[in-house]
Amino acid sequence: MFRVSKKRAEIKENDENTSDEDIISNLEIDMFSEEEQDSDSSTESIDKHKSINEDDITDKSQGNEKFNDETPGESDSDEYITGDSLDENDLDLGEEYVEKGFDKTLSKEAQDVYYVVGANGHPRKILPEIDPVYDSDSSTENPSNTIGNVPMEWYEDYPHIGYDVDGKKIMKPAKGDELDKFLENMEDPDSWISAKDNLLQQNVKLTDEELEIIRRIQMGSFPEQDFDPYEPTVEWFTSKPEVMPLNATPEPKRRFIPSKWEAKRIMKIVRAIRQGRIVPGKTQVQKPRFYNLWNENDQPREEHPMHIPAPKMKLPDHDESYNPPTEYLLTEKEKEEWEKMDPEDREKNYMPQKHSCLRTVPAYNRFIQERFDRCLDLYLSPRVRKNKLNIDPESLIPKLPNPKDLQPFPTSLTLSYDAHTDRVRCISIDPTGLWLISGSDDKTIRLWEIITGRCVKTWELEDIIYSVAWCPVREICAFIFSCSNKVGVILPTGICDEEVALSTSQYVTSGFNSSRRDDEKAKLVDWMKPTDGQNENGILVIIQHVHNKTIKQITWHRKGDYFSAIAPDAGNQGILIHQLTRHQTQQPFRKTRGIVQCVKFHPIKPLFFVATQRYVRVYNLMKQELIKTLQSGVKWISSLDVHPMGDNVIIGSYDKKLCWFDLDLSPRPYRTLCYHTKAVRNVVYHKRLPLFASCSDDGTLQIFHGMVYNDLLQNPLIVPVKVLKAGHRVVDSLGVLNCEFHPTQPWIISSGADHTIKLWT
Amino acid sequence: MEISQEEIQVQVRFVTKQTEYVVTDTPMIVPARLRRYGLSEIINHLLGFEKPIPFDFMIDNLFLRTSLLEFLENSGLSTENIITIEYVESMLPPTPLSSFQHDDWVSSVKSFNQKYFLTGSYDNHIRIWNTSGECLQTFIGHNAPIKSVSWVSIKDDDEFSFLSASQDKTIRAWRSSLEHNKYISLYECIGHKGSIESIAVSPSCSEFASGSWDSSIMLWTMEIPENSDDDEHIKVQASSKRRKVNKKENILTKYPITTMNGHIGSVSSVIFDDKDSNKLYSGGWDHSIRIWDVESRTNVDVKNCDKVVYGISYSGKSGLIASGHSDQVIRLWDPRAEDIAVVKLTLSSHKNWVTSVSWSTKNSFMLVSGSYDGTIKIWDIRSKTPLYTFFKQNNDKEKENSIPKKVFCVDWDNDIILSGGEDNQLHIYGSKNIGFTKNEK
Repeated sequence: MFRVSKKRAEIKENDENTSDEDIISNLEIDMFSEEEQDSDSSTESIDKHKSINEDDITDKSQGNEKFNDETPGESDSDEYITGDSLDENDLDLGEEYVEKGFDKTLSKEAQDVYYVVGANGHPRKILPEIDPVYDSDSSTENPSNTIGNVPMEWYEDYPHIGYDVDGKKIMKPAKGDELDKFLENMEDPDSWISAKDNLLQQNVKLTDEELEIIRRIQMGSFPEQDFDPYEPTVEWFTSKPEVMPLNATPEPKRRFIPSKWEAKRIMKIVRAIRQGRIVPGKTQVQKPRFYNLWNENDQPREEHPMHIPAPKMKLPDHDESYNPPTEYLLTEKEKEEWEKMDPEDREKNYMPQKHSCLRTVPAYNRFIQERFDRCLDLYLSPRVRKNKLNIDPESLIPKLPNPKDLQPFPTSLTLSYDAHTDRVRCISIDPTGLWLISGSDDKTIRLWEIITGRCVKTWELEDIIYSVAWCPVREICAFIFSCSNKVGVILPTGICDEEVALSTSQYVTSGFNSSRRDDEKAKLVDWMKPTDGQNENGILVIIQHVHNKTIKQITWHRKGDYFSAIAPDAGNQGILIHQLTRHQTQQPFRKTRGIVQCVKFHPIKPLFFVATQRYVRVYNLMKQELIKTLQSGVKWISSLDVHPMGDNVIIGSYDKKLCWFDLDLSPRPYRTLCYHTKAVRNVVYHKRLPLFASCSDDGTLQIFHGMVYNDLLQNPLIVPVKVLKAGHRVVDSLGVLNCEFHPTQPWIISSGADHTIKLWT
Repeated sequence: MEISQEEIQVQVRFVTKQTEYVVTDTPMIVPARLRRYGLSEIINHLLGFEKPIPFDFMIDNLFLRTSLLEFLENSGLSTENIITIEYVESMLPPTPLSSFQHDDWVSSVKSFNQKYFLTGSYDNHIRIWNTSGECLQTFIGHNAPIKSVSWVSIKDDDEFSFLSASQDKTIRAWRSSLEHNKYISLYECIGHKGSIESIAVSPSCSEFASGSWDSSIMLWTMEIPENSDDDEHIKVQASSKRRKVNKKENILTKYPITTMNGHIGSVSSVIFDDKDSNKLYSGGWDHSIRIWDVESRTNVDVKNCDKVVYGISYSGKSGLIASGHSDQVIRLWDPRAEDIAVVKLTLSSHKNWVTSVSWSTKNSFMLVSGSYDGTIKIWDIRSKTPLYTFFKQNNDKEKENSIPKKVFCVDWDNDIILSGGEDNQLHIYGSKNIGFTKNEK
């Protein structure tokens, strides 16, 4: 090919004036002429070309065809020449041989070549059988196996051992048994220089060259004989860097591939800047290279927040002085004792010693021991950082309004009503708030003018007065009292208007005229007319109960017609309800559950509260059914009161507690207040103001602000506002027995076991 | 500190309104540690009195009760300026003159011209006493404790007429003659449904008012009713035995000319204006003081506080109402002030309810109060602390720890202060006594 281009150059030189078409035609001519030339030269060296392959031939011919096609386009391609120039030199000789050799055979055998369609669909050239003449290539004598480097075991079961180039089976050569092999070895003198050709499954005798190679390998030298390991280095590529580039074009930018790792590192820095770990504009603070160790401005390093300072060592005592006053010195006896004692039990681990002057003081013999102990202390006793809860204790206290803002409520003792000679069990204030009645163990009832403390009237009766209750209706001026198993109605003459007195008298006594079935089997009570003497005292009616038990409590219904009398010991007759106008008595409960402590009528609805020892039961008197049971959680209920609105109940108990129930909320207490130190005797609501109070055997009264809101969602507000002390003395471990609020003013009246009644305002 | 105090001196100028005691008004320098007594000595020295007269000193209308220096410090005045000190002849501590024993608690007392004292008692009797302690007359007629009494007139030191109100819901008018030792109950006023707590006679003596526990105030005329009026009512009263007795006495019955309702609770005290018969003041349990126009029978003004009002008193001189309350204080009100929150001054020193107050008739600044703590206190409203406090001496030393005897009523008539209470005695104190005492407190 090199020549072709040379020729072309020559042609160019020769015919400069010829047109392009001429050049092409010339080229074709040249090519043919060159072929002719080539074939001429090849005939000389055809012998040398023994091992030419048929494949090579075909390749060559194709290459020639290609060349012919491409010639016009490559007429002036310099690059081609420069790029392949290295190969040119190399192949120069060989090419000559090849082209000469196969051109000859090609010319002879070209007629016999035919094509078949191959496995891949392309035409496949089939070469003619080689004629085994003397000069023919011996390499084709033995059909070469084409199966490649596969295990020969695959062909063990077949008669053939593979395929030749044309796909014909190569049959297995005849194979003798071990004896044959042995005989063969013995007979064949060349057997020791033969090796088994695996592919052809037969022994092949090694040539001398091969033996030579084996021998050289065994000797450890290069296998080829003519290999010169020490030939001089040919520097195909120079080791010295070239000053001028081979190619002057600068590296194009498109060839630049950005580095992934660099990008990663940059992103790392960018992230650090974004997070502020690296401040871009920050200048490095120059640290001083040398420090002044003794600088006074140098501050000690701030302590670690979790630092716990070591406890300070105890300062020396007076008796540790070298010359302590003599009173510090131990006496002989004390010394003995001190020495006898176990060192651990000693109060002080040294003995005070007196030296006349410092000069005589010996070396401090306990120094090491002391240091050691100190180190042990520091090391062995763990110091725990006490975490102070940073909670303001004030914030834990529920926010309650200041009692000062909740005025008015009773604050101080104003009056004392002293006339009774025994403990005053019960008091009651008339609905106008002007008069007070009190019943006492001295078997008298007294009527008091509240604001002056004057005892207006006294009734003497035959037994202890357990309960008094003023009729809650203003139009009727009368009160009831209980005395053993009797209940009486008294009209206190003189304090009320005549007309009221007259109507009251008629109201109370009208029942005598009404027809009553006197002789009834189950007669509960006897409504008796008073004697003349009693009548003068104002007693209008006496109700004698059939049961002989003491009536402990009497309670009015709000309308002033019905009242209930409680006798806890009277079994099923314990609760009786009397009707004053008709002189009738009902027994609402056939059977009572437990001992009845106290009862109360609901201020608005026809409900009836019965407090037994532990439970408060709410009955509907109209429907005659149990509505609710309040579980107080206290051990022994002492008293009960119902809020004037009717939805809240307080109870007091002998185990010091006061429970507030919200009937709409729960059968359990809304609040349990435990402020008294002894049994709560009575609890009471104020009729108008948001106040309630409890009195106790500890001699005090507690006043609470108890606001009930109309809004159902808002729970009642309970604030203890005042403890009224220093009024009643505690006598026989009984303190304040009863208390009642004034109906209009924020006053409370209490009666005590010390025979007095007190007014607090 | 002592030394520095002694060194401080202030410039003062003494002025007075009492012409007989005027001294030069040139400023003079006095030590600031001086108290009332020291200043009083200075004035006496300046006046050259042989017999010293005690004086009281006021700076900016406040009594000097401490040393000058402390006063100036407390009121924030400078010691550099000239201080004008007004001085008045000091009121001597009242001296107990006498005590008149009653059979029961004394609920009401009134004095007439410092000569005759009318008392109502819980033993249902009314008594008239003279200054020498004689019980001139005892009036029997009421069936329940007397709660209030009031003079109407005295003619020629002989013919007394007065009113009495009782818990038996009636008011009686009485006329008596000392010479003949006779008395008659002129008429009985019926109308109230509760105990009558207070009566007041108008300055013109033409009508009187009564306040009762039934929360009404009733107005009555002074005229004696005609007999024929009360036929119907006798029938009603016939049912009561007590009334039958009364009927035997054949007392005329009188009915109110009007009833003024307004108080919600009991009315504890009524009082007429000193000069204006048309104005009536009342205090009640509903924590209010009400001002009534008598002619139109309307409630002109209501002044509310938080505590029950027990006794009120009106002084025409100062134009103020003083009221005693259940929270142990005395409140002063200006009835002319329009707005409602008009407690001008609150005087607190009593330790229990203040039941009764009475203004001085001579001095527009002074008033006396009686309380359930058993004390009577005399106040000058220019000073927040009481001038004098009286305990009623308990003769029984055993009863020292006992509860003090309550004072129910006080009255101040010119130079005499009267009080009655639980100790069944009428106490008389002279408020203008001769005799100088160094007792400052």
